[in-house]
Amino acid sequence: MMNAVRLEWYKLRRKRLLGMITLLLLVELAWAFMATSVSISRNPEHAGWESLIATVSSMNGLFLPILTAICVSRICDMEHKGNTWKLLRTVMVSPGQLYAAKFMTASIMGLWGCIFQVFSIFVFGMLNDFNPAVPVVLLTRFLLGTMITTLAIITLQLWISVAVKNQAFALSLGMIGGFIGLTADLLPSGLRRLLVWSYYSGLSPIAQSYESEQMSFAVRDIGTLLPVMALLAVVGAALYLAGNIYVSKREL
Amino acid sequence: MLKRCVAAEWAKLRHSYIWLLVVTLPVISILIGCANYYMNRGILKNEWYSLWSQVGLFYGEFFFPILIAICCAYVWRLEHFQKNWNLIMTAPVSVAAIFLSKWVVVGILLLLVQGIFGGLYVLGGIWLGFNSMPPGELLGWLLRGWIAALAISTLQLALSMRIRSFAVPVGLGLCATFLGLGMYVLDLGQFFPHSLLSIGMGVLSQTSLSTWSQELGFLLVSLLYITIISTAAIRCMRKSDVIT
Repeated sequence: MMNAVRLEWYKLRRKRLLGMITLLLLVELAWAFMATSVSISRNPEHAGWESLIATVSSMNGLFLPILTAICVSRICDMEHKGNTWKLLRTVMVSPGQLYAAKFMTASIMGLWGCIFQVFSIFVFGMLNDFNPAVPVVLLTRFLLGTMITTLAIITLQLWISVAVKNQAFALSLGMIGGFIGLTADLLPSGLRRLLVWSYYSGLSPIAQSYESEQMSFAVRDIGTLLPVMALLAVVGAALYLAGNIYVSKREL
Repeated sequence: MLKRCVAAEWAKLRHSYIWLLVVTLPVISILIGCANYYMNRGILKNEWYSLWSQVGLFYGEFFFPILIAICCAYVWRLEHFQKNWNLIMTAPVSVAAIFLSKWVVVGILLLLVQGIFGGLYVLGGIWLGFNSMPPGELLGWLLRGWIAALAISTLQLALSMRIRSFAVPVGLGLCATFLGLGMYVLDLGQFFPHSLLSIGMGVLSQTSLSTWSQELGFLLVSLLYITIISTAAIRCMRKSDVIT
């Protein structure tokens, strides 16, 4: 299995995928930090980790679905373009193993993106003297929520990217996901729960509300978020299994 | 020659289901925009203009540019398969006709997107029970948005032509969207194709092109981008070797 993952990275060695993820995240974070700086200059009471994490979480709703779609599409498109699905099957790599290797590769990239975000948030907070100095619990919860949502989206994108040769569909799904992620807070709660892309803000440790022309931030109770995280993980696992079974059973 | 190339490009799009993509985005934008307007009727008092700010914001700022990127990557997708670059470069047509035919086809698709978006906006307003007629500026917003979209599509076509991957130009388009938003905020919108879309469609400021000179400036800058980028892309096609 580890050999299959290593081979996936070998195939991607000249595609500069990690560089592209970093570049896109830099654009997102630059925008989020600029928005936070403007917000702090207008309302000095917003100078804290809460507003920063809430801003990055809501920006993630737009960026990460599209970024995930791009990464997963590139991982799968090389097999479609090279017509190598059949070739890989003849060299004793089972379809399930290949699917798992592609999932793990995409997950490692997602993890890199999340860790990079946490590190950048930490550096920005330190430079602006936010209090407390290191909000370990908040940052860990942010990392966990973002990662679980990303993993669920990866399973969905992987299925589509493997199943449909034309990557326009996978990227369009990513775009629609970005749209839903960005506008998730405006949707009715019943509908929001059904859409995986809405969990970037839904699993954020900070809730933001706009009342009397004032933005306010509150730390969410971990007790209410944990069952949602567990449920999303189950949905992700179900999507992974469905995709894996589809790939194993299909005729090449 | 161009006409025959356009017909060939159009034939390549048959049975491609790209229409699904072209229809989905305006529908989702309008649905979410109308829902948001409906939930905030207390604050949004300006009927059609308020509705435009709701439906146009996410559409014009983020999703229309990404849709343009996907359409452009789509029309080059077939050429990057197998030996198709060799085939089109040895066809008895000029390279300019190949590039421009793709640009024309994308332009028609984008006009269709804008038309659907405009039609759904009017339907949304009627459904929300507005008493007045749709704003007279609507046609101008849609048309200018289309002109800016043509400038963006020239850039995206050039990127998709050079980059073999389908996804990378879309990712670059996403970065450019944010760069464009930044340039618009810094009042440097005329200097970047993606900011021209915000200006033309009036999604952030509905009076951003209030005088004839501003309108003319917008048209000239868009035309300049289209000319420069397409000339560079065609030159690149002529000079560089194909990779299959």
